[in-house]
Amino acid sequence: MAAQTIPLASTTTAEPAADWDALAAQARAVRRTKAVVLYAFLIAVSLPIILPYFWLVTIAFSAKTGVAETAVLWRSMAVVVPAVVAFWLTAALAQGRRQLWIGIAAVAAFAVFAFALLVGPDLHLGNFIFLWEPDFASVVRSRIGEVKGAVQFPNVWHAFGNSILIAGAQTAIVVTVASLAAYYLSRFQFPGRSSMLRSLLVLHAFPVLTLIVPMFLMLYWIGLLDTLSGVILVLVAFELPFAIFIMKGFFDAVPWDIEMSALTDGASRRQAFVSVVLPQVRNGILAIAVFTFIRGWEEYIFVFTFLIRNSNWTMSLYMYWVRDDVMGVDYGVVSAVGVFYLVPSLILYMAAQRYLMQMSIGGVKG
Amino acid sequence: MAKIEFRNVVKRFGAVEVIPDMNLVIEDGEFVALLGPSGCGKSTSLFMLAGIYLPSGGELLFDGHVVNEVEARDRNVGIVFQSYALYPHMSVRDNILFPLRFKKTPRDEALTKVKAVADLVRVAELLDRRPGELSGGQQQRVALARALVKEPQLLLLDEPLSNLDASLRLSMRTEIKSLHEQLGVTTVLVTHDQIEATTMADRIICMRAGRIEQVGTPDDLYLRPSSLFVASFIGSPPINLIAGEAEGGTVTVNGVRFPVDGASGSLTMGLRPELLRFGDTGFAGRIAQIEPMGREILYVVETGMGAVRVLEQGSSAGHSPGEEVKVSFLPENSLVFETERQKLIAGAHVRAPG
Ligand SMILES: Nc1ncnc2c1ncn2[C@@H]1O[C@H](COP(=O)(O)OP(=O)(O)O)[C@@H](O)[C@H]1O
Ligand SMILES: [Mg+2]
Repeated sequence: MAAQTIPLASTTTAEPAADWDALAAQARAVRRTKAVVLYAFLIAVSLPIILPYFWLVTIAFSAKTGVAETAVLWRSMAVVVPAVVAFWLTAALAQGRRQLWIGIAAVAAFAVFAFALLVGPDLHLGNFIFLWEPDFASVVRSRIGEVKGAVQFPNVWHAFGNSILIAGAQTAIVVTVASLAAYYLSRFQFPGRSSMLRSLLVLHAFPVLTLIVPMFLMLYWIGLLDTLSGVILVLVAFELPFAIFIMKGFFDAVPWDIEMSALTDGASRRQAFVSVVLPQVRNGILAIAVFTFIRGWEEYIFVFTFLIRNSNWTMSLYMYWVRDDVMGVDYGVVSAVGVFYLVPSLILYMAAQRYLMQMSIGGVKG
Repeated sequence: MAKIEFRNVVKRFGAVEVIPDMNLVIEDGEFVALLGPSGCGKSTSLFMLAGIYLPSGGELLFDGHVVNEVEARDRNVGIVFQSYALYPHMSVRDNILFPLRFKKTPRDEALTKVKAVADLVRVAELLDRRPGELSGGQQQRVALARALVKEPQLLLLDEPLSNLDASLRLSMRTEIKSLHEQLGVTTVLVTHDQIEATTMADRIICMRAGRIEQVGTPDDLYLRPSSLFVASFIGSPPINLIAGEAEGGTVTVNGVRFPVDGASGSLTMGLRPELLRFGDTGFAGRIAQIEPMGREILYVVETGMGAVRVLEQGSSAGHSPGEEVKVSFLPENSLVFETERQKLIAGAHVRAPG
């Protein structure tokens, strides 16, 4: 019986053997095509995102008053576009981490070198004049012979301070209130708990802009129009629901046992919250803090509507008025203000990126 | 150390009455086990002792003082949770130090205590690690250390061994028992595993659906189970229960006749597998299945009254599947229960037929 099946098996394997190779080759081809399509897509998507920021920075450091020169942009593009393509190609072709890092380093070094060569001579810091000359608008205008009509700008550091104040205060309030509220929602049963949770989400679903007129009236009546605290209050109110919702997810993921254990170990409810529960939702707190801060930093519509005096300007208003006043004259200065406005968000994102990534992991549990 | 007393304790969650009426005394220094199937209210009772749950009614006494409303943190109770509940962001040392923080123990003294208790449960070399870097058994020891470091008057263990693998469970059983012998602290162990309860505890409190079914030594529960529930919960493999009608001094089950002393009416006979013997007399059956269990062999015998389990000493089977056998037992090894009320009839026995 067994002796009969052996020759039978060897004849049958001979034929499909060719088939196996063909199938493997086919699978390889499919995988390769998929990889090519994926990286083509990544290149196509990343270029339009990277280019505007790149231009913004290039213009900020190279444009001159009254000159609308685009040659430098084309030259810088000649560096960036190949660099982005080369980056993705390295990512696609690299085998192993080491190769990837070496490849990226090589691409970066080459790009920096080419950039220094092609764009370097045009770079200067003159567009950042607003950092040390509050009346830069008049200075810039005088360069092309216009003298009158410049907007009275406050010191940019004053606007910067206002923005930090608004974003910072808003963050502090949102983080504190959201943590406490979310903890309560997560731990205690009370009538109306589930409808409260539902309404938290619904609140977030409405476009806040629709409330701008009633908000204006309310602030006017309580006397907080054209004050920073008024804007902070409004922003806090709009940011809270979602922050509470996110934080509740984090608290839900902290086991009861741990808290109960702390209570039997001699902690009061508050001590247990602070020393045992809070450390475990640290990532959630960092995440909502960063998002709230950046929301406040970017805020434009409400500050535009509720703040009037130029001593109350935030960076976004400053940016708006710079654009309004000197755009036609000197778009280098406008870009420089943009870069200055962008840097804090960028630093914050980069510093907190690790925690923000975890939000999607920890927060969804609830 | 403390003497614990439940007096008519009731616990409700909303409309659900989990513990209807609990009465129990645990002596100072005793090691008792709360044994029962999952969901019967063991943890709930334990959490009331710890002060995590407030009793809905009745009185809970420590050394004669009502403690119903005393906060958890003032009770000086050490508890090991089923999940261990270690604080993940703290090192093992800080975990064990945690209870001392609130006792305002001076730092030097606290560290000495931590060292001592860590030596006791053999985690001294793990003090700088995080709980996440420990194995299940090590986490468990750390949880024990944390519960013991405050020198509690009462030690509560909620299914402490259920997350461990079999061999570790065996060694931790011995270790916890010897810890109790060393420290003499009143200990309440919650478990659904009858072997854990019988091997570790001085007394077992067998619970069913929030009620105490029987309280006694492991021997009491094994030899004189007060009800069918306890009889079937204690012992492994489980007891054989055979129901029949007694008339004129004989229980008849499907034509098989067992002479009976001291009982009549609808009866259920309880025959422990390890107390059954193959022989020339007894009720007849055919071996359906053989399960070697190391030093013992479990036979499943098909009889006219259903399948009967017989456990024999020895490592090689003396019988083969399909073999016709007769099974007998000593009358004093039999238990007789009232089928209706499911209660033991004390002193009643049946004899093997023929
Ligand atoms: N916090 C609670 N809220 C509502 N029901 C609960 C709560 N805790 C326990 N129960 C219910 O009480 C019963 C006993 O639970 P428990 O004491 O945890 O059982 P076990 O004996 O397995 O430890 C279960 O039916 C459980 O659903
Ligand atoms: Mg339990």
